[in-house]
Amino acid sequence: MLAIEFGPEGRGVVVVAGRLDAAQAAAAQAFLDPLQGTVTLDCSGLEYISSAGLGVLLKTQKRLLAAAGKLRLTGANRHIQDIFRYSGFDQIFEIEPAR
Amino acid sequence: MEAILAVTSKLAAPFDLMSMLAEVVSAAKQVLQADRGSVWLYDAEADELVLEIATGIAPVRVSAKAGLAGACASTRRIINVPDCYADDRFNPEVDRRSSYRTRCMLTLPLVDHKQVLVGVMQVLNKADGVFDESDEVLATALAAQCAVALQRVRMTEAVIEGEKMRQELEMARVVQMSTLPATMPVLPGYDLFGVSRPASLTGGDTFDLSVIDQGLLAVLGDATGHGIAPALSVTQMHAMLRMAFRLGADLETAFMQVNNQLADTLADDRFITAFIGLLDVATHRMRFHSGGQAPILHFQAATGNCARHGPTSFPLAAMPLLSLRPAVNLDLLPGDILVLLSDGIYEYQNDRGEQFGEMRVEEILRENHGKPAAELSVSLLDAVHTFARGAVQEDDITIVLVKREAQVATHGMFQRSFDSLEPIFAMTRGFCTRYGVDPGILLTVDFTVEELFTNMVKYNRESGARVRLDIATIDGGVEVALTDYDVEPFDVTQAPDVDTTLPIERRRPGGLGLHLIRRLVDSMDYRYEEASRQSRITFRKTLTGPASADTIDANARKTED
Repeated sequence: MLAIEFGPEGRGVVVVAGRLDAAQAAAAQAFLDPLQGTVTLDCSGLEYISSAGLGVLLKTQKRLLAAAGKLRLTGANRHIQDIFRYSGFDQIFEIEPAR
Repeated sequence: MEAILAVTSKLAAPFDLMSMLAEVVSAAKQVLQADRGSVWLYDAEADELVLEIATGIAPVRVSAKAGLAGACASTRRIINVPDCYADDRFNPEVDRRSSYRTRCMLTLPLVDHKQVLVGVMQVLNKADGVFDESDEVLATALAAQCAVALQRVRMTEAVIEGEKMRQELEMARVVQMSTLPATMPVLPGYDLFGVSRPASLTGGDTFDLSVIDQGLLAVLGDATGHGIAPALSVTQMHAMLRMAFRLGADLETAFMQVNNQLADTLADDRFITAFIGLLDVATHRMRFHSGGQAPILHFQAATGNCARHGPTSFPLAAMPLLSLRPAVNLDLLPGDILVLLSDGIYEYQNDRGEQFGEMRVEEILRENHGKPAAELSVSLLDAVHTFARGAVQEDDITIVLVKREAQVATHGMFQRSFDSLEPIFAMTRGFCTRYGVDPGILLTVDFTVEELFTNMVKYNRESGARVRLDIATIDGGVEVALTDYDVEPFDVTQAPDVDTTLPIERRRPGGLGLHLIRRLVDSMDYRYEEASRQSRITFRKTLTGPASADTIDANARKTED
């Protein structure tokens, strides 16, 4: 299951937790679509991401970059970092690893 | 006669041997008007006479054939010697040591009503002359009373002593057994079982199965000796080992230090044969030291054979260890069993004096290795029981089994929908947890299954057939297969790679999943069956597989070139 919501800081931080898989991709996309500017995605509770999840993030990143914003990731676990690296997405997203 | 009756009533009272002896001697002196008296008790086992009491003389043991007392013991006849120094059977040594002069002596056998020789009574130096015939008659009557009384006290004391020992032993056995694991530890991918059946009297077995920081600890110990000592020794060893490992010791340190401490503490003739092993759950490698405990059986499921290992050292406590041979490594493959049995099993004797032996154990392992460890243990115990044909268990019997689960497989059928991902992930997680698959590969397995499954959903939406998912354990990981029915062929292993170095404007999500999974798994295989229009994709993922970050980085660089 996936939980996605704004952090206590406001609309600039999105806290995502659980599993971002093909079954959850549409819900995540719908949440991210209205956002503007620079958005930090707090992944410290994100356990798993599939290529469907990568697709959601890629689409969002393209849209934000076109409007001088961006999506940055924090707190990504080992699995998620690996997936980003193996797919070359580490060159597209600014990733601040888990502390 | 009145004197004897008075004595008889006195002899009824005492319950301990020393008081009874004193009573007998005093009665004899009184009835026969003798100056001194002594009672030699007969020790049938040593065939010796033991002088437990004689006024002013220390206890002595002599051969039951020597001297006047010996002559009396062998003939069971009264001997009346009026002048001892004129009789060459008389030993003046006793006089010399006690500064006493024996003139005359009456020696009479103490024989109870079952004609058992209890001892010999001697009375010395009659007050007014020598012992006469009427003294002999009186003494014979008295001797019969004394013999019965003495025998009663001796038997009572033996019973009390035996009961005391039995209670002490029982207590030691309770302590010994209480240190054994009450429940078996749960270790994913393994089936562990240990049991110890104490013999009624002697034996000093112990075992341990416990998940500690260093891995799975497996111990089988067997202390030598009879009575209370072995029970106490193994209990001590059991506790020392737990403490050593709790303090962070490795196998070698624990083995040597516990050995050296036991060598210091235990009596010189005591030792403990013991197997001490640590299983690395990730590599399925058991490292062990064995102090004189053998054979160590490694049942190998692939061949049905038993590999036997000998000890790496002498028994614990035999002497201090200054150095140690290297530990033995034993790799447990799926279905393999480490079998530790105390010699109470191998050496169990049946009514014909035959021993159970190793061959019978191996036969039972071959026939029953597929059973859960607890049931295998029952098979072993049953076989021993049948073999014994009523012969009693002379020694403790202990069984310790460390069984690696055989290759296991499961499958599920899933509706062609993204909603199936949740039950699919529940299945993969459940399988990996249950069978000890390293959790490090679970996310990759999920990732790969999701890519393959969602492809099947996306590219064959019209089909109502469900997708089959198979998972099986392999060495170090899993083999997973997805089978799709009623489809056109599409070989995922031949899908084109994605250029992961493209700038973001030119990146598309499509194809990325297949690109990634081909790099994340160890191998991937595609089969298509024309007749049934069935696609089957099989992949393998292990912790140590070729898909490491290095090879992926190398692939990425290749793409750049």
